[in-house]
Amino acid sequence: MKELSLNVLDVAENSYKAGAKQVCVSLQETGNRLTLTIQDDGCGMTPDILKVVTDPFYTTRTTRKVGLGLPLLRMAAEQTGGGMTVKSVSEKENPASHGTTVTAVFYTDHLDFTPLGDIVSTVTTLIQGHPTVDLLFTHETETQSVRLDTAELREVLGDVSLAEYEVIHWIEDCLKEQYEAINK
Amino acid sequence: MTVHELLQLPDLTALCLEDGEREIDGVYIGDLLSWVMGRAQSGNAWITIMSNINVLAVASLADVSCVILAEGVTLSEELLTAAKEKGINVLSSSKPAYETARLLFGSLS
Repeated sequence: MKELSLNVLDVAENSYKAGAKQVCVSLQETGNRLTLTIQDDGCGMTPDILKVVTDPFYTTRTTRKVGLGLPLLRMAAEQTGGGMTVKSVSEKENPASHGTTVTAVFYTDHLDFTPLGDIVSTVTTLIQGHPTVDLLFTHETETQSVRLDTAELREVLGDVSLAEYEVIHWIEDCLKEQYEAINK
Repeated sequence: MTVHELLQLPDLTALCLEDGEREIDGVYIGDLLSWVMGRAQSGNAWITIMSNINVLAVASLADVSCVILAEGVTLSEELLTAAKEKGINVLSSSKPAYETARLLFGSLS
């Protein structure tokens, strides 16, 4: 992917497919290290599936025989000298607490580091595509942070869908303003 | 021209030839896998310097006639096994991508 945000979009879709009620996307920058975490409370994966999940020839799709979401994220991380881990607890193993956490570490000063790109579009696309699922997005640098929690928005919005044009537009502006403030 | 016939060219060697009779239809060059995935056409010979399991997945998905690893890049034993298993033709070229493409241009047109 030309932008890391596209990898985020791709991998986060797995969380929605897993029936998550809440998805957390977090970016944490410490020096030259960028940690991306995508966490959900979806149905999770059994250890058997977890083992093959970064094999591109494994996929839950039935329409084609390869799935490249996690393999490409892993490759993007590894080619900067970082790596990716996936932890998961399946619903079968623990009906009360299950889900998947994907953590990818990137070294941003490596020549093969893919720029983050348009993460704001990724966040708004995810919310618009899945308005009934909550998304918590955080991006923390050492001194500043950007944050958006749709659970908080939902309290204010009541019955208004997060997918409404005005709401999405507001979310986009809200994130852009926060990024402008930290990039100053 | 088939993949098998292509191997008559100097500088090209077969790493995994599972379907030598596959017809080559055009050439695609690229290393950004997600990009190649959406753009390489079925039957293309795909020239790249990348060599990992995802390359084989993209080759399979895009249904290219063969992967040509430029600059003398080869496959690890593990990848060789995977290529055989998935029936993907993989060649190696001792020349860079541009020179390899020139070789192919002469033969395909």
